[in-house]
Amino acid sequence: MKKIRSIAIAIIIIYMLSQIMWHINGDSLEYNTSSHAYYVENGLEETSSKNLVTAIYLDYRLFDSFFEASILLVAVTGIAFMAIKDEDLL
Amino acid sequence: MNYSKILITVSRILLPFLLLFSIYIIANGDTSVGGGFQGGVIMATSYLLYYFIIGAHPFSINKMLKIDKYLFVALPVVILVGFLTTGKFFTNMFPIDFPYSIRRTYLLLLNLLIGGKVAIGFVSLFIVFIEEGNS
Repeated sequence: MKKIRSIAIAIIIIYMLSQIMWHINGDSLEYNTSSHAYYVENGLEETSSKNLVTAIYLDYRLFDSFFEASILLVAVTGIAFMAIKDEDLL
Repeated sequence: MNYSKILITVSRILLPFLLLFSIYIIANGDTSVGGGFQGGVIMATSYLLYYFIIGAHPFSINKMLKIDKYLFVALPVVILVGFLTTGKFFTNMFPIDFPYSIRRTYLLLLNLLIGGKVAIGFVSLFIVFIEEGNS
């Protein structure tokens, strides 16, 4: 009974993965390209950055990059605390 | 520590150029490829070369982590100044009709802050590894 259940779950997972892989391939042009077109068109005027990557990570998605910096701070402090058992680090 | 003479000589030649290159990448983050994170990591790598040359690490970990925390507090201060001037959260502090050269300073400031934060974070990581290896 347990074996049949695990085989059924495996078949379902394989079916779902194959469906995902079937639908996401490079040939289909069904992606949503509206944000891409918007950034290319208005990126320089709105953010005054010639580099579009900087325009996105310092203006459109600044929230994300701020918490990325906080993750780096927490990781470095945690590693230092684990390596050097010193209460003054925190 | 006794490193090989080839490593030390190559590090001595490479160190100033690597530091200059990292500052170039941070300062030109908004006009060409690069940015704060990449330049900061290159700057931290140059600190590793400095450790190879002199064989000791001059900065203490407590001080580095303290500077890291202060820089992290300075980041939201710079970000939230834009709310007072433009009325929107998490965007450029100068209004949209300002000239390009003035609006660029905001990106430059944020790139410098993020670059310094990443550099100091990775340097303190290197210091932890060095102290672990020596003990």
